[in-house]
Amino acid sequence: MNQNPDMNPRELQEAFYAISIAQDMPDAKLLDDVIRRYPQFRKELTEFAIAIAVDMLRGDHEIEATEDAIDPNTVSPAVSRAMSHFQNRLYAVTAEATKTKGRHANITDAANPFLSLRRDEFRAVASRLNANSVFICKLRDRQIDPATITTGFQARMAEELKVPPEVLMAHFTAPQTAPTTQFFNAEGKPFAGGQQSFEEAVKSSGLSEDQQKFLLKL
Amino acid sequence: MARPLTHTKKDGSLYTRSSVVEAQIDTTVQLSQSDLQARLLIIDRNDPGYLVSECLVHLVRKGRRSDDQKLMYAVLLVLLGRCEANLLNKIPDGRVPDAANIREKILEDLTDLFVTDGTGDIPDELDFYECRFNLAFRALRIDAIRRNIRLCNHSIVEVDLQPPDATGEPDSYEDTFRRGSENFEVLQMHELRAIRQPLIKAIEDLPDDERKAVILVHVLGYEVESEDPVKESAATLCNCTGRTIRYRLTRAASKLSRFKEEL
Repeated sequence: MNQNPDMNPRELQEAFYAISIAQDMPDAKLLDDVIRRYPQFRKELTEFAIAIAVDMLRGDHEIEATEDAIDPNTVSPAVSRAMSHFQNRLYAVTAEATKTKGRHANITDAANPFLSLRRDEFRAVASRLNANSVFICKLRDRQIDPATITTGFQARMAEELKVPPEVLMAHFTAPQTAPTTQFFNAEGKPFAGGQQSFEEAVKSSGLSEDQQKFLLKL
Repeated sequence: MARPLTHTKKDGSLYTRSSVVEAQIDTTVQLSQSDLQARLLIIDRNDPGYLVSECLVHLVRKGRRSDDQKLMYAVLLVLLGRCEANLLNKIPDGRVPDAANIREKILEDLTDLFVTDGTGDIPDELDFYECRFNLAFRALRIDAIRRNIRLCNHSIVEVDLQPPDATGEPDSYEDTFRRGSENFEVLQMHELRAIRQPLIKAIEDLPDDERKAVILVHVLGYEVESEDPVKESAATLCNCTGRTIRYRLTRAASKLSRFKEEL
């Protein structure tokens, strides 16, 4: 609601409703009461109450007459445009909600097979792969572009984690989330953001040349 | 039973619908689509089948929550038609600059409330409309005009005109005030109503400061000033002295005095 800069703060909006709904014609007692509750909007509320008073003095008889003259079988251009606005806004909101829901669903659907590993298991997997924790963390946190991960490495990794290769790939291809704090010291934490290629990840994880050669050959 | 409202008043109690609205909702939600459509076509507010606007709001919200598009669109169309009639009367062309666009913006603002129902800063804002539709819609309308004026930068520079300097002549201003404003001061509400339209037009045409003083004192019932430092008065609300308020009332009274003659 506050996306639009010309919108009122929530409390002012509340205060306007409080004045308008309490009684048909505001009076000093009502305005004093609302100003006591929202003293920061004293000026706005005073002007609002004055506007309501003038509005009330005009009376509502003519409105009733106008409403009675409505043809319920025809839709005016203004109402038609308002309906169109409603449809568009509703569509945008619904689409956004669906997108968000889908995103969340992907994240939760794609279980992260690394998260169930205890610290010692995590290190053991890294060791058996002839890699290190930094590199495995990049895999865990989806910092490596899945399209560049070799098939051989995928198979080996799935085997180590004891999950089907499809599950592992589902994890790699799911949207990146903020790096987990699992097992990290202050230094060398993975960064959130863009992905590296498999080769870049191998070369920038502090691995020895032998380790790099081994992983790239898989 | 209709879904209870959730918005709370400042004292912690919940806003509630009137018993008439509650009863109407209870019967309406059980209507078939065709029966509801027939009820929506009734425009005579004295007809027992006429659906009050508070009930229409409830139905649109219900349609939105249950994704019942048919219900939502059918009812919203009728509600917007009523609102447009209200706006055509309250904001006719010529009353404010860009009246047609303001009317459309208000209709859009109302539909936005349904779109964002259950979310945003005031997720149950539509509760106000299920309580007292016309008064809630009045708030939306008046606020929209207020914001439009602000956006159009039609800011009115308030000049705090001081009353004629009464230094050395303490009674001269008071005398002027009494003579000039007595015509207006004796007007009562029923009299105001009797000559409403031209008088209201004249009040609206008053300079901002004079109009404020007239409404605060003669309509809202504020004292011109108060010796009680914590008590609000027209003077404190206008951030000026009581003498200035009296001066403004005097000037307004002289402009409005012809209405006294018309009584």
